[in-house]
Amino acid sequence: MIKQILEALSIIAIPLIVAAFVAYAAKKKVPVYESFVAGAKGGFEVAIKIIPYLVAMLVAIGIFRASGAMEILVSALSPVARLIGMPPEALPMALLRPLSGSGSLGLMADIMKKYGPDSFTGILVSTMYGSSETTFYVLAVYFGAVNVYRTRHAVAAGLIADAVGMLGALFICRILFG
Amino acid sequence: MLNYVWIGLVLIGVLAAAGSDIYDASSNRYRNGEQFELQYDSTNASAGRVSLTREYFNKFYGVAIESPDTLNFPATLTGNSLKITTDDNSPELWRTVAKTDDNSNQIIAKVEARRGSELTILLPTTSLVKTKAVLDAVISYSELAVKIALGLIGVMAFWLGIMKLAEDSGMIKIIARVMKPVMVRVFPDVPPDHPAIGAMIMNIAANMLGLNNAATPLGLKAMDELDKLNPNKGTATNAMVTFLAINTAGLTLIPATAIAIRAAVGSKDPTIILLTSFFGAGLATIAGILAAKLLQRLKVYRISEPPGESEGGASK
Repeated sequence: MIKQILEALSIIAIPLIVAAFVAYAAKKKVPVYESFVAGAKGGFEVAIKIIPYLVAMLVAIGIFRASGAMEILVSALSPVARLIGMPPEALPMALLRPLSGSGSLGLMADIMKKYGPDSFTGILVSTMYGSSETTFYVLAVYFGAVNVYRTRHAVAAGLIADAVGMLGALFICRILFG
Repeated sequence: MLNYVWIGLVLIGVLAAAGSDIYDASSNRYRNGEQFELQYDSTNASAGRVSLTREYFNKFYGVAIESPDTLNFPATLTGNSLKITTDDNSPELWRTVAKTDDNSNQIIAKVEARRGSELTILLPTTSLVKTKAVLDAVISYSELAVKIALGLIGVMAFWLGIMKLAEDSGMIKIIARVMKPVMVRVFPDVPPDHPAIGAMIMNIAANMLGLNNAATPLGLKAMDELDKLNPNKGTATNAMVTFLAINTAGLTLIPATAIAIRAAVGSKDPTIILLTSFFGAGLATIAGILAAKLLQRLKVYRISEPPGESEGGASK
């Protein structure tokens, strides 16, 4: 029920926002078309601006993933995962989630196919996927758009958020489904 | 810190690839130059199937794959060249051989001897597997980056247009006012009626509703507005880091992608993760904001290069 309402909301939200904004602007006597175009002009520039940042980030992540370093890391960290009650199969998900959106999506599907989507591991990995964003992608794109390269504590804060998200997912899944 | 992460990813990646290739070569993991025997049954003049027992495969490679008992592959035999087609269910070793050989799912082997349906073949020499994969990754990920960026142009232009309308009409200030009590606490450095606040609210709202197409352009717009308040161009401000921490936590009411994949792989209750992932992402959001607030006070993260005259946001 709540889900249906939310889904409907997410479909009508954009048309509604657009209509409201345009109507309000018209009421305020803003030259709507002119103003829209003036703003939209920036779209190309922003997209082009993020290319170097995105290339740098995605290539580094691509190298890391292709090299098999992840598998080494997973086997090194498996005992730690077991210690905190995380099934070792779910560990690659926790490690990959901040690095790669498409990668962790594929991994989630693979793990659920193998262990079943309604198994503890299946529920856990899909919760993990939903509990975080692809941190490094967000960092590259958002900072790239404003040419910020000295990111200060952004990486640390983002990774702390990820770690807490993953542990939170584990915690709640263990309580409800463990 | 991004510098170190970047160096780490690249160097660890290259070293791990090299290490793994050296190990493979020294243990001859792919049994290069060793003759392999299998059965070939033709269905017509050129096409057929090859089969071999699991036992033989395991013994040959010194591995322990568990199923199936008989491995079967579509194959074509022309002259003394045998083309074996692998698929997703084939043993990983052979998939790797196929991929490294000519970047497809086919293994092209040389037939050394033939006795009836018994073939003795030589598989293609497989080496530098991970190094080749790294090379491929460099090229394909560079292309992917450009593809993602160019794919943003349209929606980016659309939302920047809408946001300009909202700015010119004053709508953005109205939005900012509604959330003012929360926003002044989370973003104390940003004037409460600044367009950045409105853009950030819209970005967070879009994320909550799972409107990914809208969230990124709105987020980039917010970053642009935040950068207007930035005295040290090129260096992140406290507000930017806090905003990013919220975004990387990815709080959403409906984790639509995860639910869709769950449904696709046959879950009886795909939406069971609604509550759990909201909990996880909620904790992540709180942790992200707190971490951003605490870390910004650390000496290492203070803004080290003051502009012309020292502005010193964090140093008071």
